Amino acid sequence: MRTLTGWIAVHPVLAFLVVFAVFPFLVPYKALATQVLIYGLFALGFNLLYGYTGLLSFGHAAYWGLGAYGTGIALAKLQVGSLWLALLAGPALAVVGGVVIGFLCLRRRGIYFAMLTLAFAQLLYFVGFHLADVTGGDDGLRGISVPPLVLPGVRIPLDTSLAFYYFAFALVALAVAGLKRILDSPFGAVLQAIRENSDRAVACGYDATRVKHLSFVFSALFAGLAGALDALRLNVVPIESLYWSTSGQVVIMTLLGGAGTFFGPFVGAATWLVLEDRLAVFTESWPLVVGAIFMAFVLFLPKGIWGTLLARLGP
Amino acid sequence: MHRRSFLVTGTAAAAGLAFPAVLRAQGGDTIKIGFPGPTTGPFGALAKDQQQGAVVAMEEINAKGGVLGRKLEVLFRDDQLKPAVGAQRTKELIENEKCEFIVGGLAAHVQMAINEQTKKAGKLFISVSQSDEISAKPDAGPLTFHEALNPTITGRAVAAWIAQNLGKKWWIVYADYAWGKQNNAVFSEVVKKQGGTVLGSTPYPLGNAEFSAHLPKIVAAKPEVLVAVTPGADDIAFLKQAASFGLKKEMKIAQPLHWLPYLKEGGPDLYADIYAGINFSWQLEDSIPEAKNYVSLYRKKYNEPPGDYGAYAYSAIHEVARGIALAKAVNSDAVAAALIANPAYNHYKGKQWWRACDRKSFQDLWIVKGRDRSKMKGDWDFLDIVQKVAASEELDRTCKEKGFA
Repeated sequence: MRTLTGWIAVHPVLAFLVVFAVFPFLVPYKALATQVLIYGLFALGFNLLYGYTGLLSFGHAAYWGLGAYGTGIALAKLQVGSLWLALLAGPALAVVGGVVIGFLCLRRRGIYFAMLTLAFAQLLYFVGFHLADVTGGDDGLRGISVPPLVLPGVRIPLDTSLAFYYFAFALVALAVAGLKRILDSPFGAVLQAIRENSDRAVACGYDATRVKHLSFVFSALFAGLAGALDALRLNVVPIESLYWSTSGQVVIMTLLGGAGTFFGPFVGAATWLVLEDRLAVFTESWPLVVGAIFMAFVLFLPKGIWGTLLARLGP
Repeated sequence: MHRRSFLVTGTAAAAGLAFPAVLRAQGGDTIKIGFPGPTTGPFGALAKDQQQGAVVAMEEINAKGGVLGRKLEVLFRDDQLKPAVGAQRTKELIENEKCEFIVGGLAAHVQMAINEQTKKAGKLFISVSQSDEISAKPDAGPLTFHEALNPTITGRAVAAWIAQNLGKKWWIVYADYAWGKQNNAVFSEVVKKQGGTVLGSTPYPLGNAEFSAHLPKIVAAKPEVLVAVTPGADDIAFLKQAASFGLKKEMKIAQPLHWLPYLKEGGPDLYADIYAGINFSWQLEDSIPEAKNYVSLYRKKYNEPPGDYGAYAYSAIHEVARGIALAKAVNSDAVAAALIANPAYNHYKGKQWWRACDRKSFQDLWIVKGRDRSKMKGDWDFLDIVQKVAASEELDRTCKEKGFA
């Protein structure tokens, strides 16, 4: 066990590839695996900002929603025929959102920062609600058809659950590798320095605001990619994508899995979503059970599931 | 807990969650129908009525030996009134439970999210709640059926009746979201066609039913009829405020729809003399034999009369069964083709039929009025049936208007 967690800690990207390559066959059905993968990526993006940089954003629904609407509108309204172009549109929009909102929110710290991120996300929610011609308003954006994946020499339709899972898997794997690269870089070290002691990082000569802003934008990029994939997965973008409850969900998943750990977000997303999926079949009161588990972790094992495992077993 | 026993228990629990099919008792070779609906949340009462209607139909069919010698099994899921959850539950019902047919949905936006999943999976979907979009392009797919009435049909029928019988000078209060706006548009259009006028309208944010600032303005305008498009819990809040301002004495109040669970919650003092449309009311058992059958089966099981939305679900489950029997196949494409080839049916309130172009069900509806407390026979006798509006394709938009060539 100790050697296993040790190995995972040293080779997180490889571990991700191994686990998620077989993941669809470990859960009851393929669409659930895809949901876990996509929410895991969303939580991964959130974790970069919260777990590694120490900034609690309560408005990550904004970038998830921008990603989803960007890709959704490209396909449903603008009739973009290319999957890649549509997939670019969502994260690009999320990055723009991250640049602007991050710039404004980072002028404040702590609770004021969290409240500002929430306020901007709610602002986007109301914009989405009232721009019904573009976003579908409270009926949601429908009619998103997923074009086939065109690679040099091959054309793969993505209409089966398994095909779409592995398509999403490939993209999320790239994102995971990208995150690993970011964290291993000097920039990643500065992020964690800021989390531990912002004043000291500034005293060492780092431009903390700029580094935080960059972290904010990267985080928005990952969240936006997750949102874009979710639009393709559901073929609809509900207005709730931009609602504060979506922001709350990603916070809970990250904390449950273990903030500040590489795999915590995926563990949290998997635990939350699989429990919800299975418990909801038996009882309408599933939030009571999952809520109790969440509270137990926050109170007794604040490092979350993965964080606790790492602390107990190694590396 | 010892670390090893923790790991063993944890693995066993994870396996139990991951492979429920192995643990679950084998139900035999049933025909599975998935049924998502918002059983938790503000529309829970309507969703529960839908579930109960579906259960009554399932048990009635199974008591007669099922379809093609196989029993029906309806699997209910809570969609939490959220499109993303409705979509995910539908995926689960189709992929994991292998449901060949999906019936259900209540809120329009969740119906449409469910519909996107059934379209992609090539499964038959019978929507059992109001929506204009669900039976029109681009939402409607070749396997999308719509059992319920829609805002256009209800609005045109109810608005025309109000204009002809209650008065032609209106004020409209409506919840500012998709359903409210649709109703406002249809009601305004019809009253103008009938030679009447809308003196003014008051949109308000859904779920924020505070009208005290608006009511004096409405009284001062002296409309003959106040049309209130105030769904769910807002309705009760609105009617209470309207009653305390004495609006009921100054003008007639009318609404697009009455719902039995809300009549029960609000009580007869609130709803007396309020006019509305309805797709079904249990008092129809006195005049329609199919209604008598449904109402008595429902009463026997649940000790109360059925509501209006449960009837849609009851009828839709029967339609799936009828389609399977006609097609002699448990297959969405075959069942859809069989239903369109044999479009007429009558499960609970008289003849209905599927229009071929949009797979919309046409059916009678009724104008009803809240009954005075002194005239009620029993706890559930809230409504006087005023008049039947016969089923007519004229009441809906045409195939062409809905995007079908």
